[in-house]
Parts: sequence; C-alpha cells; structure tokens
Amino acid sequence: MKTTSYELKNAFSKTIIWVFLIAVTVYCLFPFVWMLSTSLKTESEAFRIPPTWIPLEPTGDSYIGIWVRKNFGIYFFNSTVISLATALLSTFFGALAGYGFSRFFFKGRRFLIGFFLATQMLPGVLLVGPYFKILSKVGLYDTRTGLIIAFLTICLPFSTWMMKGFIDKVPDELDQSAMVDGCSRMGIFFRIILPVVSPGMVATILFAFLLAWGDLLWALCITSSEPMITVTLGIARTVGEFRIIWPMLMAGSLVGGMPAIILYIFLQRLLVQGLTAGAVKE
Amino acid sequence: MERAVGFHHRIKDRHMWVLFVLPGVLLLVLVLGFPAITSLSYSIRPEKAGTDSYTLSHYTNLNKDPFFKRTFWNTAVFVSLSVAAHMVLGLAVAMVLNGALPVKPLFRIIALLPWVVPDVVAGIIWKWMYDPIYGALNDVLLKVGLINTPIEWLSNPKLALFSVILVNLWRGFPFVMLILLAGLQAIPQQLYEAAAIDGATKVQSFFHITIPGLKKMIVVALALDIVWEVRRFGLIQAMTRGGPGVLTEVLSTYTYKQYFQFFRFEYASAIAVIMTIVLLAVSLPYIWMISQEE
Repeated sequence: MKTTSYELKNAFSKTIIWVFLIAVTVYCLFPFVWMLSTSLKTESEAFRIPPTWIPLEPTGDSYIGIWVRKNFGIYFFNSTVISLATALLSTFFGALAGYGFSRFFFKGRRFLIGFFLATQMLPGVLLVGPYFKILSKVGLYDTRTGLIIAFLTICLPFSTWMMKGFIDKVPDELDQSAMVDGCSRMGIFFRIILPVVSPGMVATILFAFLLAWGDLLWALCITSSEPMITVTLGIARTVGEFRIIWPMLMAGSLVGGMPAIILYIFLQRLLVQGLTAGAVKE
Repeated sequence: MERAVGFHHRIKDRHMWVLFVLPGVLLLVLVLGFPAITSLSYSIRPEKAGTDSYTLSHYTNLNKDPFFKRTFWNTAVFVSLSVAAHMVLGLAVAMVLNGALPVKPLFRIIALLPWVVPDVVAGIIWKWMYDPIYGALNDVLLKVGLINTPIEWLSNPKLALFSVILVNLWRGFPFVMLILLAGLQAIPQQLYEAAAIDGATKVQSFFHITIPGLKKMIVVALALDIVWEVRRFGLIQAMTRGGPGVLTEVLSTYTYKQYFQFFRFEYASAIAVIMTIVLLAVSLPYIWMISQEE
C-alpha cells in the first residue's frame, strides 16, 4: 500500500517536471520558430489574417534580399572587423593584466581588482556623451576605430577577469622552474603561459567578440553613416522605417544572431566561468 | 656573488607586476575612467557655455521632471520584476536540469537560446510576436480560446511595461539558470541522501541544504542580473523606444534621448551619474565579496 502511494507520487512529480520542461521549451523556442517561419514567407503572406504557421509558398528571397537590396554585406563586414579587433586587443591586454593579478601579490592589488570589477558595473550611457564629443573632436566619430576603442570599455575588464581565471589554474611551479632555468617574466608569459592557456584565450576572444557583436547603444551613438554601421544597428534602423518588411527583417535578425548562437553553443562549458568573473570556482 | 645576483633578481621580479598590470590599467583609465570623469563634469556644468562656474541645477531639475520620475519608477519596476522572475524561473529550471534527465544537453541548449542572441534581435522577434493583428501570440491565444479579441500588447498603456518585462524574463532567465546550475552541481549529493535518511522532506532539504548551498551563487546572480537589467537598452529600444508615451521608458533609453534627440548633454549626464551611483551601490557587496577572496 505504502509503495503504491509512493510510486503514484513519484509518477505525479515526474509528470509535473515534464510538463514544466515542455512549457519552458515552448516559451524559449516559440519566438525562434516564428522568426524562421516569417523569414521564409513572401511579404504578402506575412500580412495574412490569421497568420500562417508553415509558409504556404516558402521562399528564400528574404535571405537573398538582405545582401542584395539591403547593405547587410557591409554591416556584416563592419561587425566582424570591429568585434574581432576589439576581442584581440582586449584579450591581449586582459591576458597581461590577468597574469599580473594572478602571479603577483603587490600592494594595492585588491584595490585594482576592485577597480576592474567596478568598471564592469558602469552603464554605457555614462560614457556615450563624452565619447561622442571626444571622438568628433579627434575625427574618429563614425569610424570603425572609434567603435573599437569604445568597445574596449566593455570588453577589457571582462577579458582580464576571464584570463586571470584561466591563468590561476596553471600551477605557479611552472613559472618558478622556468625562472630557475633563466627565463624572464615576459619570456614565461609569452612562451609558457600563453601556450598553456590557449584554449582559454580562444574562449575569451570569442566571448569578447560576442559582447561587441551584440551591442546596439554604442553603435547608435557614435556611428551614423551606412558604410560604418554594424549588423545590430542595421537591424534596428530597419524597424524605424516607415514600412517594415517583416520577412526580410526576420531573415536579417536570424542571420545577425547566428554567429552568437553557434559560438555560444560551442562555448557553453566555459560560459559560467567567464561570466562570473572568477566567482565560480569549479 | 651568486647570492647577490639572485637577491637582486628577486627584488626585480617582485616589481614586475607593473609591467603586466599597468598597460591594462592605463588603457582602462584612458578609455573608461577619463570619459566617466568627463561625464561627471558635464553634469555640474551650466548649459549656457562661457561660464566657469559649476551648478547642481541639473540634479535639482531632475526632481522637477515628471518624465524622469516616471522613468525612474519604470526602471525600478522593470528591474525588480525582471530579476525576481529570473530568480524563480532560473532556479526552477536549474533544479530540473540538475536532476537525472535523459535529454539534458539538449534542454540546456534550448534554455540558453533566448539569452545568446543580441538584444536587438530579441526585441525585434517579440515586437513581431506581439503584433496585434499579424503576430503569433494573439493567434495562438485566440485559437486556444484564452482570449476573444486581440490584445494590444505593446500599445495598451496598462499592458506595455508588463509585456516588455515578459520579454525580458524570456531573455534573462537563462543566465541565472546557468549560474545557479553551477552552484547546484557543487552541492554534494550525499547531503540530500543523509537528510532523506534522517526523515527530512523535500521541502525541508530545499530550505536547509539547497538554499544555503547556493547562497554565494545567488549573490553573484543577483548582483550581475540587477546591473544588467538596469543597463538594458537594445531590447527596449528595438521594441518600443520607450513608448507609448514614456510608459516603457527606462533610465538608459531616457538618457540616450536626452543626449541624442534633445542634445541636453548636461542633463543627460546628470541622469547617467545617478544611474552609476545606484549601480555601484547595488554591486558593492559583490565587488567586496570577490575582492576579499583574492
């Protein structure tokens, strides 16, 4: 009797868990399905009442249109160049600083660590005004370089933390024995540490890349001309147009979101560590 | 002689941190510290150029600006409801994913998707989902019979902020889930087994084992999530641009408008400074906790 009620209870809680999981799955995926479905419709079908779920006459026209009729090629190029440059710069300087924080226990270390953490908390809108004025003054407004400099404000603190986390895991004995062999600190950093943490470095580069890729605020504030804008700004501008062509906008959003989706799926395991700034120790 | 060289070498090595840390610090001061101070100085500068004096009038004017008050209130509602919902849903999903489940990796990826796409993309998908006539959401609700007439998700003044928060729940809970899942995985399973032997119910183990074991992760998730939700920009900009009226306007979109639509740099800076103070105050316990561990 007791077993049956236990089993019943167990089956009941299992059902609840599955119902919950399915509900969450629908909540998560539903918008993506809708995006994909719309992107494959013709413009007139997107405005059908009631909406169709599976496109009646599926077409890939929107996926061609974003490159041919819109400047998606330029946006993609800009986003890639800007995000990559930001990621490489911030990871390099982040690795240097991360090594410094990881291996040296100097006076003011805690303060500087606190400083790096605090800079991660600042809102972008605190900085966009001065950036607009300063960049205009030095001729870097509406340039890729300007945006790269601006993105360093987001990516550098983050890269430093992530790299410090990876370097912390490399035993200090490695450095010590290399020093006994007469290797300089810089030599140790470049020839021993960087190769050892190269998987972590790749992860940091990719995360920084995605941070830059996903931004809208900065692109909106310090770029303006069509040849300089990024994917996110290109998409956002389309929403502001008088007549929104939804299939094309959905195709653009899907393509613009794709790099992030693919990279994050690869990086899943390193995600938590990277985001919590070393607060999460495995 | 050998000794002296070694000693000399060690002293030098002790100071080598400068070489590693300084480039990053200088760069950060240059690209972030300096503009931040500039913004602070804008916020106490009179709008009429030519005078050297400083003024606190922008800050006192904030108090007279009904739009600012509304925006501040919206932000408070947006952030607190979002974060609370993230915590509840994030913890629930994390606990399910921490159990024995056949298709765990797949669920993890699915649950992560809303969080990985750019803010703008998330906002646009939902703007289209929410479309009263052509959107998918009303279509489903009508077909299921939950509603009789289409809902104006983003243009109904009573609903707009709520609708935006619903999207933000979708967007933000995966992050909290990830952090809490990492925390759950660190709690030894034996604790639960021992408690079960001692006759503890599931609810008791939840409050006496799970929650205390997650304390640190909860602090981390709370701090980071609050900071991110206060700064949230692209999502709202893409979906409503703060409208209808100022009903979904939050501090970041309002500051942006003040800067780049009204060109009131001084006033905008004052808002941004207030925002910064709030953010630093909220994240201080987190920063303190982390830097003490170092």
